[in-house]
Amino acid sequence: MITVGIDSGSRSVKCVLWDGSKILGKSRVDAGLNAQATAKQVMDEVCAWAGVAPEKVRAICATGYGRTRIAATYRVTEITCHARGIAHCLPSAQSAIEIGGQDSKVLRLGSQGRVEDFAMNDRCAAGTGRFLEVVAARLGCTLEHLGRMAQSSTDPAPISSMCVVFAESEIIGLIAAGVQPGSIASGVFNAIATRVTALAGRLLTQPIAFTGGVAFIPGMQEALTKTCGSQVLIPKDPLYTGALGAAMIAGERSRTV
Amino acid sequence: MKRTLAQWDQRYTELRAAGLKEPWYGGPLRRHQEAGDTRLDHLRFHDSAAALRLWNFLLTEEQRLKKHRNAGRLVVGTLKDLGTVPIMVYALPNAVAFYPDGAWWLPCVQQLGGGQLAAADRLGAGERLCPVRALLGSLELGTDFPEPDLFICPVGATCDDLSAISQRLTGMGRQVFWWNLPHRRAPDPGESAVSLPGGCLAPSALVQHVAKELGRVRDLLAQRAGVKLGDPELAASIHAANAVRRRLIRLRETRCLPALEHQIAEMLAVHYCSDRPECLAVLDDLCALDESPDPRAIRTYWVNPVADLAAMNVLEDLGGRLVGSEFLFPQAIDLLPEDIPPLEALARAALADPMAGPASQRAQRIVREAQAAQAELVVVSRIPGASHCPFDARAIARTCATSGLQCIEVEVPPLIEGVSSALCTRLSAAFEIAQERRS
Repeated sequence: MITVGIDSGSRSVKCVLWDGSKILGKSRVDAGLNAQATAKQVMDEVCAWAGVAPEKVRAICATGYGRTRIAATYRVTEITCHARGIAHCLPSAQSAIEIGGQDSKVLRLGSQGRVEDFAMNDRCAAGTGRFLEVVAARLGCTLEHLGRMAQSSTDPAPISSMCVVFAESEIIGLIAAGVQPGSIASGVFNAIATRVTALAGRLLTQPIAFTGGVAFIPGMQEALTKTCGSQVLIPKDPLYTGALGAAMIAGERSRTV
Repeated sequence: MKRTLAQWDQRYTELRAAGLKEPWYGGPLRRHQEAGDTRLDHLRFHDSAAALRLWNFLLTEEQRLKKHRNAGRLVVGTLKDLGTVPIMVYALPNAVAFYPDGAWWLPCVQQLGGGQLAAADRLGAGERLCPVRALLGSLELGTDFPEPDLFICPVGATCDDLSAISQRLTGMGRQVFWWNLPHRRAPDPGESAVSLPGGCLAPSALVQHVAKELGRVRDLLAQRAGVKLGDPELAASIHAANAVRRRLIRLRETRCLPALEHQIAEMLAVHYCSDRPECLAVLDDLCALDESPDPRAIRTYWVNPVADLAAMNVLEDLGGRLVGSEFLFPQAIDLLPEDIPPLEALARAALADPMAGPASQRAQRIVREAQAAQAELVVVSRIPGASHCPFDARAIARTCATSGLQCIEVEVPPLIEGVSSALCTRLSAAFEIAQERRS
């Protein structure tokens, strides 16, 4: 049975085609104004790439920020879907940190990819990828370059503001004071990691998985490992764990119908 | 079954055609929306005549207060007080209490159209304070309720926001009569103690102190009303208050109301919408409803009142149902003792206020009630700017965790549209977890 998981996030829409045991294809496109059109586009792309006729798809499960605006067989929150996807990619994980473009989440995982508890930061850009975008724009570099600079710095600048708007002002002050961009980048990575770890509270137990778009940015894994006090592990394809979990849930639910 | 406002237009016509008899404040819900309560367009209401009466009773309080004023009755604004001083006011033959803090719902109900928050901002009471600051704006604008003849407010173990807001009130030239509500401390070893409604213990000396303070309130009320206010009058008022509370306890047991109407009904316990006998009649109608809740819905215990009433609809839309609630005023619903001196009974109730004691005691009671109701989830609804929320929420979450109860925190501002995605995701995820635990 072939199913599709679509993770409609704030920055991009991810799609995974699943046959019940393995991923047949996956893709992402930037999020557009029309969630349904974007979802259809990415699903058509994946089906074409995998050579699967769209009518062969038995069920679609939509997740993420835009899930309610997508025509789908099932709609499940990204909390549940990420947990299921992480359990498949990294079965030993006991907890997970997911940092996306607009929010961050911490999950405590139970057996078979079930969620025991969760915490979300969804009202403030601190602790999200948006913070990094603002800093990269201010320093005039790409996100990847920002990460590389943070990795190479041994002298992180202190960033005391947890609010992105105030932090940006603070960064302007640091630039004016001649602080090296690498130090600023490193300080920002530490600030995000601290914020996410504080959000996690009692939820973080080892091994810890790290997913979401921010997992791709060099330096974040190290910053989180440092603040969590234990190694955080990035599963294969961290951007797709939500979509994968959604596709798996579509399969499970369709089997029981 | 729930209906939108538009569907209620038709429903009202049907009920009237079927012979519905209404009190003076009856009429279609639509008229409130047309008068400025525009949030009603975004809510869905229970379709019973009893619910119609409840809504009409709630939304006509301003008219009722004006009638009281025109009839020469003493109108007493009882700030912060949730179920103590109003009982003393209603012991007077010619006075009514009302709840100025209730203005915190006006920005929601009027969708900010009344300008109360903007007026409060101009008075220096900005977003750092909880939405109760709307009462300052409301008084400044003078558009929502008649100016009370008298304000009475506790001081001491009240939240920082209310303390700031009520002090600002004096800065605006209002006379406020203060009475001291001290922090509820645990009795020392060997110290004489009494049990409060709800189960907490308090030192007898503390209860006597509060009773003495309430004695000052009694003297003031008697002087302003020009009548004697003795123990027999107070005892009779306590008895009448318990009649209201018994009905609310019955509603809690039957859980026949949707979450939205349930919250509104419980709010009646605070100040009876300025008409206690009518409040009883409204509750009697609600108690007569015979509806079975959806057994598939996730059994949810809700903590704190919501600034946007629409959040209660959202809870049910996403698959939850209310099996218990603590809207910050259990002391207004717990039965008052009738076998002790009235002032002492009222003092015990005042000290039972969850905000007068440590957050851990509030958390323990919530968990106890949630477990008794077999709740699968505890939702702590935070009120933006409310100083007590961060402390209480943490204590509640901790106590839930040690009891194996799932607990989530959500934030509900006066209008939820801006946070609806986050609110829905949190609630839906919690329901999904509860659903998986069932299987």
